[in-house]
Parts: sequence; C-alpha cells; structure tokens
Amino acid sequence: MSKKEPKIISFLCNWCSYGAADLAGVSRMEYPANIRVIRIPCTGRMSIKFVLAALRQGADAVWVSG
Amino acid sequence: MNIEIITLAEVQDIQGEAGNFSVDVLRHPRYIDEDKCIACGICAEKCPKKIIDTYNAGLSKRKSAYVEYPQAVPLKYAIDPDTCIYLLKGKCRACEKKCPVDAVNFDQKPETSTLNVGAVILAPGFEPFSPVKFENYQYAQLPNVITSLEFERILSASGPTQGHVTRPSDHKEPKKIAWFQCVGSRDMNRCDNPHCSSVCCMYAIKEAVIAKEHVGDHLECSIFFMDMRTHGKEFERFYENAKTKSGVKFVRSRVHTVNPVPGSDDLELRYVTEDGTIQTEIFDMVVLSVGMQTPPALVELANKLDISLTPGNFAETSTFSPVATSRAGIFVSGAFQGPKDIPQAVVDSSAASAAAGEMLADVRNTCTKKQEIVPEINVQGDRPKIGVIICQCGTNIAGVVDVPKVVEYASTLPYVELATDKLFACSQDAQETMVELIKEKGLNRIVMAACTPKTHEPLFQDTLTAAGLNKYLFEMTNIRNQNSWVHKNNPELATEKAKDLVRMAIAKVAMQEPLEEVELPVNQTAMVVGGGIAGMAAAKSLAEQGYETHIVERDAVLGGQGRKLFMTAKGESIQEKLAEMIESVTSDNRIHLHLNTQLTNVDGFVGNFVSTLSSNGNATPLEHGVAVLATGASPYLPTEYAYGTDERIITSLELDKKLMDNDAALEKLNSALFIQCVGSREPERIYCSRICCTHSVENAIQLKEKNPEMNVYILYRDIRTYGEKELLYKKARQLGVIFIRFSIDNKPVVKTENGKLIVNVVDHILNMPLELNVDMISLATAIIPNTDEKLSNFFKVATNSDGFFIEKHAKLGPSEFATDGVYLCGLAHYPKPIDESIAQAKAAVARAITLLAKETVFSSGTVAQVDPMLCASCGVCVSICPYSAPKFTEDGRFAGKAEINPALCKGCGLCSASCRSGAIHLKGFDTDQILMQICEMDEAV
Repeated sequence: MSKKEPKIISFLCNWCSYGAADLAGVSRMEYPANIRVIRIPCTGRMSIKFVLAALRQGADAVWVSG
Repeated sequence: MNIEIITLAEVQDIQGEAGNFSVDVLRHPRYIDEDKCIACGICAEKCPKKIIDTYNAGLSKRKSAYVEYPQAVPLKYAIDPDTCIYLLKGKCRACEKKCPVDAVNFDQKPETSTLNVGAVILAPGFEPFSPVKFENYQYAQLPNVITSLEFERILSASGPTQGHVTRPSDHKEPKKIAWFQCVGSRDMNRCDNPHCSSVCCMYAIKEAVIAKEHVGDHLECSIFFMDMRTHGKEFERFYENAKTKSGVKFVRSRVHTVNPVPGSDDLELRYVTEDGTIQTEIFDMVVLSVGMQTPPALVELANKLDISLTPGNFAETSTFSPVATSRAGIFVSGAFQGPKDIPQAVVDSSAASAAAGEMLADVRNTCTKKQEIVPEINVQGDRPKIGVIICQCGTNIAGVVDVPKVVEYASTLPYVELATDKLFACSQDAQETMVELIKEKGLNRIVMAACTPKTHEPLFQDTLTAAGLNKYLFEMTNIRNQNSWVHKNNPELATEKAKDLVRMAIAKVAMQEPLEEVELPVNQTAMVVGGGIAGMAAAKSLAEQGYETHIVERDAVLGGQGRKLFMTAKGESIQEKLAEMIESVTSDNRIHLHLNTQLTNVDGFVGNFVSTLSSNGNATPLEHGVAVLATGASPYLPTEYAYGTDERIITSLELDKKLMDNDAALEKLNSALFIQCVGSREPERIYCSRICCTHSVENAIQLKEKNPEMNVYILYRDIRTYGEKELLYKKARQLGVIFIRFSIDNKPVVKTENGKLIVNVVDHILNMPLELNVDMISLATAIIPNTDEKLSNFFKVATNSDGFFIEKHAKLGPSEFATDGVYLCGLAHYPKPIDESIAQAKAAVARAITLLAKETVFSSGTVAQVDPMLCASCGVCVSICPYSAPKFTEDGRFAGKAEINPALCKGCGLCSASCRSGAIHLKGFDTDQILMQICEMDEAV
C-alpha cells in the first residue's frame, strides 16, 4: 500500500452535519486535513451529478452527510 | 438607528414620573471629535504618555490617547484627562499635530443636557471585589496572586499575552494554578458581602479548563471552594467533564494562608483538607475568584434617584415584577439587580425593555426613525469584481493558518479585485472598512473566510446591504471551526486547506446573481402555549402592548406548577399573587383562553402560522404571527429514600401543601429532615434543578419559625443558594438548622423501624456515621421538563439530552428559538424560580415584539425557481416537496408548468436535485455553482 492520503470531498447539510462540523471545532477535536466541505442547504439538494463530478475531479471518496 | 449612544456620560438626576421623566446627563469631554475620528490610531501611536491599561486589568500599558479595546462601540479614540501631559501640564499636543483629520479638540468642555423620556432602564453593572484588603492572600504584595478578571485577560487572544498563559512575575508558563472561590462573596468577616456572586464557580471551572487547553494537559489546576454552584443550564455537565475529562482538581477548603516560597516566585498554600489535616502545597500562581458588588457611587446615585436597595446594595425588585425598581417607570437589568451570569442578564435586559414597552405601548413608533434604504447597485451583467477578506479572528485563525499567505494567494485568483485580512472581521471598524472598500473599489462580490456562516453570515450580509450591494452576492467559507480549530497541529496543511476553501468560495460567488426577497405580512396575533406562571406573564405582557393573545392550556385551569407552591424566597405568598395574575389574565379582553386544549397541528412559518387547537374532539384553526412556548415542567416522582412507603416521607411540593393548609401537625414535629438532589445531579439526570436548595432552606426556616425547638436537618451535596438567596441559608443556620453534607457515593439511607423514621448518614465534619430519628422527611425532587415531541416537530425546535428546549444561543439568545417567530420561557427552558420565569416570559415577549412591530418580514432569497421553458410538467417536484411549495400553474402562458411559492419554499433543494429536466434552479446553491466548487477542489486535496 502506498502512503497516499485519500482525497475526500464532503457535502454537509447546513442544518445538522455542517453544524456538527462546527461543533467539532468548538470542542477542539482534531481530524485529518485532507477533506473539503461543501455546504449544501439540505441533503435533498444532493444530486448524483455532484458525486460523479467529484469522482471525475479525482476525489477518492465522496461523503454526503445530513 | 433608533438607539443613540451617549458615551463618557453620567446620569446626575432623574426628575418627573413614569411616562415623563427628565434625565440630567453630564457628558465628559472626549477631546476627540467623534464625527471626525476615523480610528486610525495615530494619536495613540504618537502619544508619549504610557499608562496602565485598565481594560487588560493592569497587565499591560496603553497610551493617554486610546481606545479602550479594539471592538469598542463607537470605535472612536479618547484622551484620558487624568494622565494626558497637555491637559495636566499644558505642553505636548503631539496627537493634535499628527491627527490626519483634525479630530483632536482640547477645547471640549463638560456638557450637561436633559433628556425627556418615558421610561428608564438601569443597567449600570457591578464592580469586581478588590482583594487588596485580604492580607492573608497578599494580592497587593505577590505578583503571582491575581484576580479572575486579570486571568480572563491572560486567557484572551486579544489580551496582554495573546492568550498564552504566563505568570506576571517572570512570564514563565505555570505548571500549577490554584483558584480560590468566594473571595469577596459569602463573607461577612473580612468584607461586607454576605451574598453569593452566582457566577464565580462556573467561571473558575471555565478558566481552569481553558487554561489546560492553552497550556496542555500537564497543567495542574486546583479549585478551592466551599460549595460548588453550577446551577445553570448545562453547567453541571461542564463541571463533571472538568473533573473527569479535563482533570481539574476540586478541593473543598478555604485556603487560609499564601506565603512566598523564598528564593522563587512560587507560592506556598496552607489549607485544611476535608478530613481535617493541614496541607502545604506549592503553586506557581493563584487566581482569586472575586465576587460582584455594587460600586459605592452607584449606591449614592440609587439613593438620590429614590431607588430602594436590598441589604446587599442591589436594586430591590419583587418576585412578580422582577425588573421593576421601587420607583415606577424605572426598570433594572443585569448585575445591579443581583449578581448573575450573562444569559440571565440578557433575559433581564429583554424583560426590562418589555416592561418599558408595556408602559409606553400607546406611543409606540411615535419617535421612531425609519431606516434609509440604501439603493441597491445594479450589478447584473457586470464582470465579477470580488473582494476577499480573511479574518484572523485574533489568534483563533491566525495562530494556525498563515493568513498573509492566504491573502497573497487569493489576490492571484480570477476576478479577485482585492484581498485583505482583518484582526476581527466582525468588529464594527472592520465592517465599516468593508463598506468603504466595496464602494471605493467597486466590488460586486464578497468572499469572507472566517468563522461559521451559521452565526456570522447575517452580520456580514447586513454590511453588504449597507454598501448598496445585494446581500446574496456573498459567500462565506469556514476557516476557523472547520479548519484552524481542528487542524491546530498541522499549520501547513491548514494553510493549504484555507487556500482551497477560499478558491472554492471565489468560484462559487463569481456565479452568484443578486436575489430578491419577498415581503410577507406578519399576523399581529400571538399564541402562548402553556398557562402556567410563565405563560400567563407572557400573555399579559403581549396584551399590555396591544397584541391579541391566545393562551392554549391542556389543563382545565390556569396556574401550572405555581398552584402547588407556598412562598417565594422573598417571602411573598405565591397563591395570593397567582390569584391576582389569573384574575388579570382572565379579565383582559385581549387575552383569549383555550383551556382543556391541545395543539394538534401547526402549519405555516414566521408571521403566518396556522395552528390547530383541539378540545373535546373539536378542532379549530388559529392564525397567529408568533408563538411563545411555556410548556413548563413537572416534579420528579421519587423511587429512592423509601418514598411511598410511609406517609411521613413527602416531597417538597407536598410539604408546601401542608404549609399552605397551615397544617397544625407541622408545629408538633420534634424533628424534620430534608434530603437534597433527589433525582438531580445523578448520572441519568445530570443537571442541577437550581431551585431546590433555596426551597428546602426556606421551608426549613418556616418549620423553625413555627417551632424553634424542632430539630431540622438538611442533608445536601452542595448548598446552591445563589445570589442574595445566600442570606436565607445564613438565616437558617442562625435559627439552628443543621446542615449535613453527603457525597453521591455515600448517600443517606432512610428506613422505618418499629414505626420510627430513621436516617443514616455520615457526618462530614465528624466523619462519623449518624443515626437520626425524625418525624418527617422532605425530599427535594428534581424538575423534569414536559417533553413533547409533537410540539418540537410542529415548530421544528430541538430539545437537549435532558429534555429542555434548546434556545437560539445559550448566552445571547436565551428566550428565543432558532426557528423564526417562536420563543420560549419558564421551566421548559431550564428549572428556575418564579422571578426568573417571569423575567424570561417578558424577555420572550420583547423578542416577539421586535418581529410583530415590524408588521412585515422578508422571505429568504435562496429559494427554488422553475424555468418554465424547460419544465416537462412531470410533477416530481410537486409530489416530492415536504413544504408543498411547488404547484402547477393554472392559467396563462405557462399553464400546466410547475411554479414555486417563495414564501413556502425552505430552500432545501430537493426539487432541484430531483428535476429530471434541470428546470429548477436553487438560487444561491445552483447546480453550476456547486459544480464549480467541486472543480476548484481539484487542486485541493
């Protein structure tokens, strides 16, 4: 296995998971920096197009949370 | 706009009466013209006079020309006349020469003016107790003995050490810090402050936890205390976590001596532990948790204004009018009413404004200035000119992320006209600079890389509006909560991530179009759920301010838990006051009562709710603009301490009943015993029920007064008679009530033997088991919220793990929900005594009226919109929307195509994602914008 870090793109619901990610900060938790968050108004906004676009752009994983 | 701030001012006198006061105000000279000052700071830079910085608690220096702190409002410099060389000696004027806008004006003189007002709210605050006279702590002699306020500044990113914890004598990082509680509180021997200052226990724990965060886990923090008073919402949990997770040490002891350790700056503490042994321990630093007191000048002013004070020199108020002073038309909020923490002070301030509003309802809006609408600049079709602002957030962001690097990077990106950083982007001065930058550089899009949009987006959007820019031409990216705070050990990666996030935000905002908000009427009727004391107080205040109000109560009568209570901590008869309250509510023709009624459905949204009230199988709709939830709480039914096995074992409320009935048997008791924390502060119900200590102490006094010969015991874990309720605790001890402390792992045991009630407990002083033979046991039972999931769902409001409603903000929004148009008060928020319930009811009303008084609100601009040319009329959006916002157009050119009602649309985007024709655009989160963000992250991870 190579030491390559996975690239993760996450789509977080504004009302729950995005708030939880904020709270992780407030609680001074730590997690790896190779994740990029895109705030969406609701996971209802999530379209298959976004998943495909992210993978096409080279993301190793797409995380939708809401 | 409708608030005029008069700074450097003193109220000298208030004449007249409620509705027509004249207030004499003395305004001291600032020596700097507020209208001209641009807060550039050159005056302070050039000022040769260095003096002690009082804002930083004397731990650093400032100049005679100064601004008290960077977020000061108004952000205008001032010259301190007590130290200015020119004002004292007639020479210098360096500031005047260097000021680029000629704002310095040494000719300013004190001015007096008279204001004509209808009501007055006093919020003059407190002064921290000065520990100088406590010789045994040697605060004045030993540099490493500091006050808690000094330590607050040391912890602050904007403080003298930038948040780095060091001790004053040698700037070394301490390894061991001790906090002493009750310095200048609960103390009649060495000072005259018998009251508990209510806040020091919690702030000491907070300081200890933050200090450990800043220094690292190896920092040893010990808190020396008498009773740990964490009676606020979520405080007990914080206390437990401080003990178990953060490793803060709690020592129940009053330290009697602090001595310097010869040859070092360390401090030797001598104290007696709980088992009676004398301990000596060395610490690097001692923090004195100083209490709150009313400054002497304020006592003088209160006397002059004819405001009655309590024995502890706080403004006297009654339980049922918690913010009204003894002088009609003059109200009080904050620590001048009694020592209290921020949420309670915020509640009081809203309550005081409601109380003033009740009085002045007839003249509402007669002096109101209307906001000048800044004409919106039309940027449609213009090439994007993006301004990027990176917030340092003190050291919160800049301590981890290399902010200058991010700024430099951002300025190279497409469409970026300007990139800059700010110490605190949310401060008033930064906001003003933003407005100027937008105008000066002709910016038409803004990216803010700072904290979280969930708290700060509205603030920055207001700034755009003030600059004439449509507020949706804005994108915020989170480089604090989701970056610097969570990657603090990886500054390089965090800086790279910040760059990526900024680039993604720029790509998104470039495609953003100005959005329109729909204006909606606000129904001028209010609904209050719950007819207990809080609900009635809210309804009465709404009605007094001219709004039709409906009370929905599931019981057949008004009064809630209040009907079971005997007497307030101030000695007022609750039943008498409650009867008056019920009478005033029932006789008010603006208040409509719905008894025996439940809420079975709620439709609509802020300003336009339609609730279904069901009673005896009949459902009636009620249209209302706002809702106040005052659903209360219930007493815990104990299973412990043999409750239910013997009629002599009763709960506090059952004892209240006996007291109300003037039960003759009470006088004949030879002994009575109270057990505290029954169902509270237990692993399964961690919170403190806040009122039970005072309640038991009060009832113990009642019993002692009925029969001074009676042996009265209170078995407790910590006595939490906060504020001036401490005087009751003192009185109880003077009357001979015996207090015995127990710990959670060694609780008292209650049993009946041969008809005798026996309690076994270990005495905390003798450390010996005691067997008490008593005639009555009163259990101080927990307060349990009336959790109603349906109600939570109706209004989309959440409850915490204890079942209490979660307010909008624990400190700054204690009486409102995150859901617009919905407010809360009373026990449903957290256990509290009647005065605090009524204050919160009024506070909820004050918040509701900020909405009702506007008469219209604007819908969000981030709603979905159908492009009818692309719509295939498939109906997926119509069937999928949880808010019933889309429907088919009935007539006109696009009949049969879907359209979306912006007032109902919540902007979730479900329709947009589901539309197979790509006809639905979710404004602000449109497909191409999100795709652009995805594309830009390519370089990212």
